Amino acid sequence: MRTTRNVDQAESEDGAEPGHYSDPPLLVLASLAGGPKHGHAMTEDIAGMCGTRLGPGTLYGAIARLEQLAWIEPLPAEQRRRPYRITAAGLRVLRARLATLQQFAQAGLGRLETL
Amino acid sequence: MNPRLARRLTRLYPRAWRQRYADEFEALLEAGPSDLRTLANSIFSALHEHISPTQGANMDPDLNPELNPDPNSLSAMLRRPSAFLPLAMSLSALTMVLVCIAVGVIAHQPAVHNPAVREDEGAIAHLWQLLMTVQMPIILFFAIKWLRRAPGQTLRVLGLQAGAWLASCAPIYFLHL
Repeated sequence: MRTTRNVDQAESEDGAEPGHYSDPPLLVLASLAGGPKHGHAMTEDIAGMCGTRLGPGTLYGAIARLEQLAWIEPLPAEQRRRPYRITAAGLRVLRARLATLQQFAQAGLGRLETL
Repeated sequence: MNPRLARRLTRLYPRAWRQRYADEFEALLEAGPSDLRTLANSIFSALHEHISPTQGANMDPDLNPELNPDPNSLSAMLRRPSAFLPLAMSLSALTMVLVCIAVGVIAHQPAVHNPAVREDEGAIAHLWQLLMTVQMPIILFFAIKWLRRAPGQTLRVLGLQAGAWLASCAPIYFLHL
């Protein structure tokens, strides 16, 4: 799965990287877990969800690979825009990946509390 | 983004990818800004798609068994521009040198160690140098793209390319041209 590549990130007010999560396929899956969306809606949804604005090439790179893996599927096109929805397999993968991330985040935050 | 610019950016992608995603990708580009970051992102992703095409959805016609039953045969490899262009350039350079020697346009030049007293090498020498150097990035592209996917046939083609390159250099080296 392609991960951190060409992700637009805004800097926080103090100039430090805010640490936006940037795994495009996972971000696309998480976005589609909220319902079918086309490319532009996915970009906006992901930006609102975690502050990461995917470039168009990165987004469609992720979409193409997720479609190939059958983790998402295209819906009939609406004019020139084509919505996608997450499949059952995609939901299973997303749930497993997010559970792993949750464990990781809890462990990391736990260590920070001890400092 | 300007629709014309969006169309041009989409054309950078492989044809098989465009057949599947061109319309929606163009629509997405048109809905967004035409800043430098978007342009760089689209260009880089198109290049990535050429080097590592999306598999499974028949994105790469070379890997589609219906279009090409044996995509990794030597003949199929040699039909790829990044395979035959360096060969053609080396053979053109070799032919050019041999023809020029035959008709006496260029002749043996004694070695001159002081570069300041060397005369200009001439247009034919410059063309030869151009043909021999421009093919280097093409060979590199071919190696990066295909070595992982078909190492055996790629090494054979790289061997042919190296042989043609050395053959083109041989008259220059042995005849001290």
